[in-house]
Amino acid sequence: MLRLVVTRTAFALVSLVIVSALIFWCVEWLPGDAASRILGRDATPEVLALLRHKLHLDLPGPVRYLQWLGGAVRGDFGTSLAANQPVLDYVWSRAANTTELAGFVLLLYTPLSIGLGIWTAVSRGRAVDHVASILVILGMCVPEFVVGIVLIVIFAMTLHWFPPLALIDRAHSIGSVLSMLFLPAMTLTIAMTAYAVRMMRENLIEVLDSGYVQMARLKGLPRWRVLVRHALHSALGPALNVTALNIAWLMGGIIVVETVFSFPGLGRLLIDAIDLKDVPVVLAVSLLLTVVYIFCNLLADIAVLLLNPKLRHAG
Amino acid sequence: MLGFFMKLSPAARIAAVILLVYVAVALSGPLWAPYSFNAVLTGGPFEPPSTAHLLGTDNLGRDVLSRVVYGSRPVLAMALSATGLATLVGAALALPLVLQGGLADEIGMRILEILASVPPLVLALLLISGLGNGNILIVLAVAFLFAPRIARVVRAAAMAVVVEDYVTAALTRGEAMWSIAVREMLPNVAGTILVEFAIRCGFAVVFIGALGFLGFGAAPPAPEWGLMINEGRANINASLWPVLAPAAAMAVLVVAINLFTEGLARAIGDAPGTAP
Repeated sequence: MLRLVVTRTAFALVSLVIVSALIFWCVEWLPGDAASRILGRDATPEVLALLRHKLHLDLPGPVRYLQWLGGAVRGDFGTSLAANQPVLDYVWSRAANTTELAGFVLLLYTPLSIGLGIWTAVSRGRAVDHVASILVILGMCVPEFVVGIVLIVIFAMTLHWFPPLALIDRAHSIGSVLSMLFLPAMTLTIAMTAYAVRMMRENLIEVLDSGYVQMARLKGLPRWRVLVRHALHSALGPALNVTALNIAWLMGGIIVVETVFSFPGLGRLLIDAIDLKDVPVVLAVSLLLTVVYIFCNLLADIAVLLLNPKLRHAG
Repeated sequence: MLGFFMKLSPAARIAAVILLVYVAVALSGPLWAPYSFNAVLTGGPFEPPSTAHLLGTDNLGRDVLSRVVYGSRPVLAMALSATGLATLVGAALALPLVLQGGLADEIGMRILEILASVPPLVLALLLISGLGNGNILIVLAVAFLFAPRIARVVRAAAMAVVVEDYVTAALTRGEAMWSIAVREMLPNVAGTILVEFAIRCGFAVVFIGALGFLGFGAAPPAPEWGLMINEGRANINASLWPVLAPAAAMAVLVVAINLFTEGLARAIGDAPGTAP
């Protein structure tokens, strides 16, 4: 068991290094290099060459990649070309915003998906289940930017309950931060919950039909007790697995949803930095999102391993 | 064909009809769309729906219905070609690996896993900003992201087939690898490949729409739904129609693809994937 987890983790780290090289290589293709972007169009070739040398741009790609990776490991991502301040400070404040958003999403997502998952499983075949399955399909299929805009139209423009934009840097109280975060958080929660409910429902139904749950029921245990002690226990693995995959999905979801709501987070920062060709920031944000993505996929794998008794004792 | 249609669930049949309507609109749209997609000032800006403009007009007085109709062409063409290419490449990578087995399979599998461990949207944005946002480049980028993920699914299905006696028999007869892959294995994993293709088509529509929405897809004045939604968003207080019409067109398409896929999977006897 431990060996499996260690191998998976080691492989995830190797993947991360290779993927970071892939990202670095992609960013190399951005038209024009940093020196010509800093100096503008009127720079003389001599000055350009000087600055290139100063920024180590005259070194071959692989060497610069290793320098960058070495810096990144120590937390030094260089200086932002657009903001002219250390990338890390810049990225950090945005990452804090995104973490707040993601935290709020998990706060909504966890009770919603557990509650709805159980409810739809136990009321299988009834009206609730049919309505829920339609909502699940909608939540899974309809793109986040469409969901976000529909929420804005309903809750911001028509009902005026929440602001249409989430410019939380300008908010002054916790109340206003929460009301700004609500619509973007809801947009992300809808997609994530849909996947989780579907997964939980299928799993719970399988467990509820299994021999040992039938047995527990025949013993005369109360319904809720059967559910909590027997059924939920075995649904835990799949639930953790789908949650980890959902958080990995967030690494793309935030890019779209932060754009919809003009939310000053990592996703928006990535888009802005690409527009400004701010290479150090693009690299830092891409790497950060990739780290979380790979880590969550690893957790999803480990959740399956840990909670499957057959695999738990293997290897 | 008709027999297969009757095997589908009612929801999947409705979805199939909706998909046929989308294809018909995409093919015939230019013949009957009331205006050209980029004809400006066909009416005033932000007109509400009327007999002249069934879905109103946008900020430049362009007919929203015509733009949505024309917009079905790039989205269907790009999603189908990107997914088709990815499926082709994915299957062409996975089947020989499984047949070969041993170290080649192990290494190939690891490489596929690494390629699948990139957050798709992040890499797509980087690729497109580096290479340019032509439609063909977007198709190639999406295919590049999907192919390793499809290959993993095909590989898993092929693992169950490769141990069958008829494959062993073909190997013993000394048949060529490609011939075994195509003639013995492909027919037995075709169902899985078809379902995976259908699932990925839905993802591709959303993914390409998101790229357009983020400004990394087609450039204005292209009638691309994601782009139209983004453009209309700025003037959402003036009129909802330029946003809601392409949004609804995209949402219905994706839901129909997914319902059809589920029906298809059930009819073939294969559970659809649930992971995002």
